[in-house]
Amino acid sequence: MNVIETHTLGKRYRRTWALRSCTLGIPGGHIVALVGPNGAGKTTLLTIAVGLTTATEGAITVLGSEPAGSPEALDRIAFVAQDAPLYRNLPVTDMLHVARNLNHRWDQSYAQARLDRLGIQPRQRVGELSGGQKAQLALTIALARRPTLLVLDEPLAALDPVARDDFLTSVVDAAEGEGISVVLSSHVLAELERVATYLVVLTRGEVRVAGPVRELLASHGAGLEEIALRYLRAGAPSLSRTEGAAS
Amino acid sequence: MIASVPTVPAAPAARRRPVPWTKLAWVTLRQRRGAVIGTSVLLGVFAVYLLIMAIVQDNAYATVTACHPAAALKCQQLAQEFSRDYWGGGGRVIQSGGAQTVSSLLFAVPVLLGAFTGAPLLARELEHGTFRFAWTQGAGRTRWAVSTLVLPAVLLTAVTGAFTALFYWYFRPFLADGQVSEMLPLAFALLGVAFAAWTLFAYALAAFTGMLFRRTLPAMAVTLVVYIALAIAAATVIRPHYAAPVTVRGWNQTASGGWIISSWAKAPNGHVLSQGDLNNLIQHLPASVQNSPSPDAFTNWLTQHGYTLWQGVQPDSRFWQFQLTEAGWLLAVSAAFIVGTVWLVRRRGA
Repeated sequence: MNVIETHTLGKRYRRTWALRSCTLGIPGGHIVALVGPNGAGKTTLLTIAVGLTTATEGAITVLGSEPAGSPEALDRIAFVAQDAPLYRNLPVTDMLHVARNLNHRWDQSYAQARLDRLGIQPRQRVGELSGGQKAQLALTIALARRPTLLVLDEPLAALDPVARDDFLTSVVDAAEGEGISVVLSSHVLAELERVATYLVVLTRGEVRVAGPVRELLASHGAGLEEIALRYLRAGAPSLSRTEGAAS
Repeated sequence: MIASVPTVPAAPAARRRPVPWTKLAWVTLRQRRGAVIGTSVLLGVFAVYLLIMAIVQDNAYATVTACHPAAALKCQQLAQEFSRDYWGGGGRVIQSGGAQTVSSLLFAVPVLLGAFTGAPLLARELEHGTFRFAWTQGAGRTRWAVSTLVLPAVLLTAVTGAFTALFYWYFRPFLADGQVSEMLPLAFALLGVAFAAWTLFAYALAAFTGMLFRRTLPAMAVTLVVYIALAIAAATVIRPHYAAPVTVRGWNQTASGGWIISSWAKAPNGHVLSQGDLNNLIQHLPASVQNSPSPDAFTNWLTQHGYTLWQGVQPDSRFWQFQLTEAGWLLAVSAAFIVGTVWLVRRRGA
C-alpha cells in the first residue's frame, strides 16, 4: 500500500506552479525524506496530502485508496506543520485536551508518559516552551492520535542541534516501535540522512528522484548527500523512481 | 511496487463515526474562555448598575405613581423631578448620567460584543497558523468550524437576550410614564429581541469578515463601519416600512403612544402642502403670529384657516410585530454570514 500516491499532481498559486506533474508513489513502512531547496514544492505536496489544500490538476490518494482530506484520511494521518503551530495561550494539559477532543482516537496515558519523560510540565503554557519542547509537544500530540501516517513539514528548521537529534530519535522510535510510516521534509538532507529509509528529491515543483535509500546507495555507488546533490543540480537527469519502478 | 516493503497496519474495517459535538463544544468553550470572561464582565458591570439603579429608581417612581390626582400641580412636579433625576441625570440623585446616558452607552454594546467575540474566531487561527493544526485533526474542518461559530453565537444570543429583560425592568418607568415610546429608535433596539439580534448580527459579520480578510483588526474595523451604517439605516429608512403607518389627525409634539414617522398639512382644497408651500406660508404669516411666543401659534393659525394637519405614526401596539420583523431579517442575515464563513473555511487552501 502506498501511503501517498500522486499522478501528474499540480498546484498553481495564481500564475506560478508550486508543484507540477508530480507522479509519485511513497510506500508504507518507511521514514521518507522529502528533500528539495526552498520553494521546491515540498510544503505544497504535503499540504495537499493532509487535505489542507486541493490540487489544481492531477490526482492524489493516501493510505491506499483514500482521497486526501477525507474523514478516514484525516483520522489516520497526523500532520505537524512547519513551526509546529499550537495554541500558545493554552497550558500544555489543555492543549492535550483540545487535541483529544478533536479526534476519535487518543492515547492519553501515552501522551502523559511521553511528556513526563521529556520533562515538559503540564501547567506550563505552550507559548513558554522552548523550540525543542514545542516541537516535541507537537510530535507527542501527533503520535497520541495513533496515526498510520505521520507527516512532518520542516520539523527541524527551528531546532538547535541537540533538539534536532532528540527529535529525530523520537521519530525513529515511533516509526520502529509503532509501525508508523513517516514523511519528513527538509531543505537540508544532511539532517535526515541518518534516519531516512526512502528518499524523494523535489526541485522546482518536479520529482527528480524517488526510491529506497538502500537501493539508491547501491545503484549510484555514492553517499546519499552526493546522490541528492546530483539530482538537485540544474540539468540533472530527471530519473524518477515512482510507482512501478523496478528494484 | 517495491517488493520488500513492510505493510502498513490494516485500517479499521468500519467507517468511523464523526467526532461527537460535545467534544467539539469543549474545545470551542476552552478556546473562547477569554471571550466568555470579557462578555461576562462587560454585561455584568452594566447589569449591576442597572440593578442598583432600578431599585433606587423604583422607590422614587412609587411616590410619583402614588400621587393623586395625577393632574395636580404637586404630582406634576414630582413627575418632573423624577424625569429630571433619572432620565436626564442632571439632578441631585445621580450626578452623572441617567437612563438617557445609559441607553446611549448600551447602543455600543452589541457591536462591541459582536466584533470582539466574532472577529478573532477564524482570523486568529489564520494569523497564527494554528488552522494547520485545527483543520488536520480527525474531526475535520467543517465540524470544527460549525462548532466554533455556532456555539458562541447561541451563548451570545442567550446572554444578551437575558440582559434585555433586565434592561426592560430598569427602563419600564420611562415607558409607562409616556416619556419614551418603545417604538422610538433610542429605545427600540435595546428592548424586546432586537438587542440580541443586533449582537448576533455583529458577531456573524465579524466572523465572516475575519475569515475573508484573515486578519482580526481589519475585520473589527469593517464590522464597526458596516454595523453603524446599517443600524442608522434600520432606524431611519428600513424600520418605518415594516408596516404602513397609521394616519393621525393633528401634529403631536410629544411622541407618547407611538413613533411619528412623518408630518404633513393639507390645504383647505385637500391638496398636500410641500415643504416649499409651508415655507411660503410661514414667510407670509401676519406679524402677530410670527412674533408670538407660543410654539403652537403657527399650527393654530393653520387650523383656523382651514388647513388640516396629519401625522404618520407607528403605534406602540406594533412593538412586537416590529421586533419580530427586525429580529427575523437580522437572524436571516446572520445565518447567511455563518453559512458563508463555513463555506469559506471549507474551500480555503493552505
